[in-house]
Amino acid sequence: MFNTELTRHLAELSKLEFTDAELDKMTNDMTNIIAVMDKVCGFDTSKKPYALDAVDYKDLRRDEHGESYPTEKILENADIKRGATFVVPKVV
Amino acid sequence: MDLVTMREKLDKKEISAVELTQSYLDKIKEKDKELNSYITVCEDAAIEQAKAAQEMIDSGNAGAFTGLPISVKDNICTNGVKTTCASKMLADFVPIYDATVMEKLNKEKIVMLGKTNMDEFAMGGSSQTSYFGGVKNPYDTSRVTGGSSGGAAASVAAGLCAAALGSDTGGSVRQPASFCGVTGLKPTYGAVSRWGLIAFASSLDQIGVLANSAADTGYMLNGIYGRDFNDATSSAKSKGDYTRLAGTDISKLKIGIPKEFFDGVTDEVKTAVLKAADYYKALGCELVECSLPSLEYAVSAYYLISSAEAASNLSRFDGIKYGYRSGLGEDFNDLIKASRREGFGDEVKRRIMLGNYALCSGYYDAYYKNATRIRTQIRKEYADIFEKCNVILTPTAPTTAYKIGEQEHDPVKMYLADICTVTVNIAGLPAISTTCGYGENGMPIGMSLTGRAFDEQTIIAVCDRFERDFDRKEARI
Repeated sequence: MFNTELTRHLAELSKLEFTDAELDKMTNDMTNIIAVMDKVCGFDTSKKPYALDAVDYKDLRRDEHGESYPTEKILENADIKRGATFVVPKVV
Repeated sequence: MDLVTMREKLDKKEISAVELTQSYLDKIKEKDKELNSYITVCEDAAIEQAKAAQEMIDSGNAGAFTGLPISVKDNICTNGVKTTCASKMLADFVPIYDATVMEKLNKEKIVMLGKTNMDEFAMGGSSQTSYFGGVKNPYDTSRVTGGSSGGAAASVAAGLCAAALGSDTGGSVRQPASFCGVTGLKPTYGAVSRWGLIAFASSLDQIGVLANSAADTGYMLNGIYGRDFNDATSSAKSKGDYTRLAGTDISKLKIGIPKEFFDGVTDEVKTAVLKAADYYKALGCELVECSLPSLEYAVSAYYLISSAEAASNLSRFDGIKYGYRSGLGEDFNDLIKASRREGFGDEVKRRIMLGNYALCSGYYDAYYKNATRIRTQIRKEYADIFEKCNVILTPTAPTTAYKIGEQEHDPVKMYLADICTVTVNIAGLPAISTTCGYGENGMPIGMSLTGRAFDEQTIIAVCDRFERDFDRKEARI
């Protein structure tokens, strides 16, 4: 059963935060959504999985050192930067 | 004008690339205020690209795509041009590289008119969850375009580009194509590189094409398919020459009609799609009644798998390296939470929450693991059908385009409306949607043709055959 405590727990895992009103609405939405998702619990799991993969991973490229993008290019989208680094809040 | 004709006119110099581009830019200026199909219009850059294309044409080195003006969905990275995913989180994000599809097309000097609007992070079926405002349907502006590639579909339907690149994770090319009365092709998973497509659900995402005809979607696919060493899931199995079978005899083909797909759709949709089946029968095709019994589990399995992958993919948006950063967080954790809280819209948050729920200890076996079993079963059922049929005919969506505000705020209703499209992504198959009729409200009805993996040629040919005899109405705008 979905409740605000579970919503809070999931919000923490999801690195999201909600006001009390938002938390209630999210709990309500999730309750309705999970009711639909519950359908998968009724699937007969005794049916053996069929080994068919849409993706062929055999043709993987070699793990080789290649050229990277210049640091200054990569930093173009950082909000706050200093020299060749992006700035984060103090953690210690 | 179809792409082949456009190519001929450019090559014969009956029209210049700059004139052609300018005519589309003028139309965008005139009509897009009402539609909101573009987030970014690249007016100056498009003219510069058209000039470069004209030089290529003049020097006799034009390729198939030189000078063709297209739109590109705003979740496909374009070097130096904002790529927002229709989210506040990426509202100012400017990629430093091109997606592989753009790299391929740019080599031939294609013209990019701009970046099209969409549901935020491609999560939605209405194109109303965009941070930049919803998109309106060119057939009736009080109605939705469908989504998530709603801007792409509207841009094609309204004549605001020659063709469009979109993306399809659970129907996001085909359903808006259906709602907007255009043709939408979702290629086989792996047929087109996903490098540079901002990830939503990596095992389901696929770049696709929206255009005025099946032949045009094949034309565009010729330019973007193929193995790419930057995407380990891309495949070398693609055949290319996707319009090769268009116009050839299809009368010996067997067309599967899976009965479950007709249960939850409106009467007018059912009638229009079955009328299309009769058209193929009259040509000589054999209609084969078939079944996809696990369809009843498909929507739930799709949302669990896609949301689980989305929760992981979207964890990169933390307000630290790039993207929106909140001014509120004082410590590291608070900053990330505040940035995500302010940067993501409601639907994106719901998907992240659902994904983490499905992956949570205690729920994983019942939800995620079962969803993957259903995925395997659905693939098996499709494989069984393709033992007996060449293509499968289904509706693309249960209804025509609905009124803006009517259902897009009800997540459950929205999820259930994806019933006709999600199994194709789950099985990694190719499918194409085209208009097969019109509802009482005048809105287009779409039908889908699904093919065997890497057999886009056949579904394009079957779709093309229908389009040659179908009288498609022009959009009002």
